[in-house]
Amino acid sequence: MVFTIQRQGISKWLEKLLETSAVIAPVRGPSGDVVFSTIRSPAQVLWDFGNPLHPPKQFVLPQTDPIVAIKRNGQRHEVEPIHDDAPRILFNVRSCDAKGITFLTRMHAMEPADASYLRRSNNITVVSLACNSPCPQGFCVCTDSGPFLSSGYDVQLTDLGENYLVEVGSEKGEAAISGVADLFRTATEGELAQRKDLEITARRHFGKETCHFASAMRRISTGRVRDALWDKMSDWCLECGACTLACPTCYCFSVKDLARDGGWIRCRLWDSCQHAAFTLEASGHNPREQRKERMKRRFFHKASAQYYMRDGMVGCVGCGRCVKVCLGTTNMPAVVGAIRKGKWHE
Amino acid sequence: MSPVPTTCPFCACGCGFYLLASKGQLIGVAPSESHPVSRGRLCARGWSAHEAALWGDRLKQPLLQRDSKLGPASWIEALDHVVGRIRELIDTGKPVGILGSPRATNEENYLASKLARAGFRTNNVDFCFHSLCRPLLAGFEEVSGQYSPSIHLNDIESSQTILLMEGDLAKTHPRAASCVIRALERGAHLITIGYTRTQMVRLSALHLQTAPGNEGAVLNGLVASILQLGLEDRTSAAFDCEGYDALRRGLATARMTEEMHQAAEWIGRAKQAAFLMAPTSGQGDQPRKDAAALATLAAITGHLDKPGSGLLPLLARSNARGACDMGVAPDRLPGYEPWDDWRCRHRLQELWGRKLPSAFGLDAESLLQSVSGLIILADDPPSVLAMGQRALAAMGKIEFLVVLDAFVTPTVKISHVALPIASFAETDGTLTSMEGRVQRLGATTDPPGEARPGWQVLAELCTRFQVDGSYGSASDVRREIAQAAPRYAGTEQPESGDGWGGTWVEDSDQRNFRLSAMRVAALTSAERPHVLAREGAYDWGRDPLVSYSPSLSRDYQSQRKLFPDGFVEICKQDGDRLGLRTGWQARLSSVHGDAVVPIRVRTDLEPGVVLVPYAFRDHVANVLGTHSIAAVKVEQA
Repeated sequence: MVFTIQRQGISKWLEKLLETSAVIAPVRGPSGDVVFSTIRSPAQVLWDFGNPLHPPKQFVLPQTDPIVAIKRNGQRHEVEPIHDDAPRILFNVRSCDAKGITFLTRMHAMEPADASYLRRSNNITVVSLACNSPCPQGFCVCTDSGPFLSSGYDVQLTDLGENYLVEVGSEKGEAAISGVADLFRTATEGELAQRKDLEITARRHFGKETCHFASAMRRISTGRVRDALWDKMSDWCLECGACTLACPTCYCFSVKDLARDGGWIRCRLWDSCQHAAFTLEASGHNPREQRKERMKRRFFHKASAQYYMRDGMVGCVGCGRCVKVCLGTTNMPAVVGAIRKGKWHE
Repeated sequence: MSPVPTTCPFCACGCGFYLLASKGQLIGVAPSESHPVSRGRLCARGWSAHEAALWGDRLKQPLLQRDSKLGPASWIEALDHVVGRIRELIDTGKPVGILGSPRATNEENYLASKLARAGFRTNNVDFCFHSLCRPLLAGFEEVSGQYSPSIHLNDIESSQTILLMEGDLAKTHPRAASCVIRALERGAHLITIGYTRTQMVRLSALHLQTAPGNEGAVLNGLVASILQLGLEDRTSAAFDCEGYDALRRGLATARMTEEMHQAAEWIGRAKQAAFLMAPTSGQGDQPRKDAAALATLAAITGHLDKPGSGLLPLLARSNARGACDMGVAPDRLPGYEPWDDWRCRHRLQELWGRKLPSAFGLDAESLLQSVSGLIILADDPPSVLAMGQRALAAMGKIEFLVVLDAFVTPTVKISHVALPIASFAETDGTLTSMEGRVQRLGATTDPPGEARPGWQVLAELCTRFQVDGSYGSASDVRREIAQAAPRYAGTEQPESGDGWGGTWVEDSDQRNFRLSAMRVAALTSAERPHVLAREGAYDWGRDPLVSYSPSLSRDYQSQRKLFPDGFVEICKQDGDRLGLRTGWQARLSSVHGDAVVPIRVRTDLEPGVVLVPYAFRDHVANVLGTHSIAAVKVEQA
């Protein structure tokens, strides 16, 4: 179903959403950055913005995520799951990030399903905003995750000027617009055509550069990346882990108990496969002691045929965050390019 | 959930990010693209900055020792006891002192300095890390009249030449290493000086190999090469200054190599060059001389006059510069002014309403060994000082030991009174980065239990010692700092205006050059052909912000578990020659004494070098004596 909402109508819609859910949207942060934050009023929501550097992944998979409460009871311990099923609306999320959340949910729903994750994500409605003018670092066309989405959203908005086109992609999406049906009217043929044109124009922004994932994937999946290349690239990585922490599709974690009120809260913490101690074993042995081994592992997970078959997409949504947060220079486009060419800084 | 902007509490690069909290509890960190230093790029430590305050063993209420056991007490009880005992010690003529901290804010350090000088009337005030960064600052100051850096971190990115005195920059200051990497991507030349093949060395265009303690000889060679090739900048203020001829004469016999000439070309011809210096090791005064030699190199090539060019001392801890600037040093007053500078003394006497003490003060190591009463602010001397665990023994003998800390450290456990203060995530305050940027911390959550902001506790102590401590907020303390140290004028409201704010310490452009040639003494002998050197100048593994962080502590903890007796590292050739393999025991002997330690064989070391990680320095304390380096004989044990 495709509807249209007038620009002035958006505030009323948001007010309605705020009655029942927490609404999280990009806002201007205290130091000028665009950040995702819970809003108090519709006026806070930004409509023309660069995508926040910290992805909305934090709302489906927080950096510190309490999952189990452990209490002492005499000689025994009682274990109780902690669920966070508060209704939330992620509003004005960019296409790449909406796709990232789809990726994470698909992964966590695989057997054995992650109940803690799913309880939270099932109560999150994603309202994405299509990118009429893509961001300079983005390469979402290469990963089929933008600038416009054809699936994976609950609601997709497109800025048509006076109006927004409202594409509803799920039951959660229907619920999100149901309370204020009078604000929405069915979109006209002209408006649908306009959306199509906008998408074509947006895609043209990416120029003639073609997607390199395919050739990189062939090389990675068949072990045709020279060890010397990994060796060389790994010296340009400073092991900050930012490429994984800021990645909308990365979900690796560690577990740690937090002592509170005589008991413990078992938490899931973001972790990074790029940290030396990530695969450190209790014996002291580390199967991926060298940084190049860890890099190799990361890109195998991101762009090998094996994982592509499992996840239905590469482990990248082309948001370009790793380009911005990388302390070194080993971000996704740079490494994929190097693998394709077989050369690094030459 | 609203992100709170704050400054990174780890190293002295001065990065900024947002702390995220939910339901009054820290949950994460978000990068900021608009932060002028970090520009959205954080290292592993920055990304985990919220962890220690959340997971750490926090000091939540005042503790007081009764019948040799530490037990809970009220704030009034604890403070009364501190004031009573310190006053008693002062009245009976016993020495007392205060240790500030590079982990504490400017406000806390300033009040520590004020409490010591105006309250206790003593110059017995210092901070443990000072002994490691002092030689760097002193060397720079000796040559150029300024200890402050003449370059900003991000200037490195646009440099054509970078000279790095390597101390494993990628690990100690990842954000600075990031700037170097960006510069390399743009085609800059990286010259490294060091004795291990670190990541930065592997990336360098030219590596000048040296032995520990011999860095000065390489620097001499570089200065001599500049002079011989006529690459000195004749328009520079340093040209023809005092000592220029003496320098020329003194270096007439310096050993030069082809590589040094190449490096000299790159340095001399660069429009913009960065000179980064990690603390070096050496006996006696050598580290200071090394710093002076590097400053000389920068001075004669004119790079101290050019915008975007200059020296950057690599200080390990976030507020080391701030602690110096607040006068947390026995011989320096706020503003890092010499303690006998009459103008500064006069200014402080007016401001504090007290006559300043005129007796010499003691440095951190001596304080631990000789005072009867000591207040330690947010630090754990055994984990910071080069003397290691010997500090713990020394502290055990102190008659009255008071510790203010957010975390339970080994020092807290042996204190007579422990006062809980807020961690960096819970207090207002400022930090001064190594490049001189004064930036604010953002209080994101409430301090746990009864903990109070450190500046409040110190202000209360000031009041109790009849010194003005009537501050309504941390801003009031900042206002006073600006009066006490005029170069901090303008930093009172570092958040003013839009964006991240942050203000610069007013560094004077006035540089008074004084050059001299230095000599490097040979260390090894036929009898003791190896050089044992301490590697690094800081042990992050024992810093509470790392040791209490689940993500960051793993590496350090596993090393300590695997090597409970520590280890020293030698290269493969030496290992083969001496019949030593990883895990085997070796006996090291020097003129000071000997020790038996496990060996770890490395492939990226030079023959003749034996390294002991800073974390394991205690295991070879007998061999090193009081130095960071010693000639040793290595044999199978």
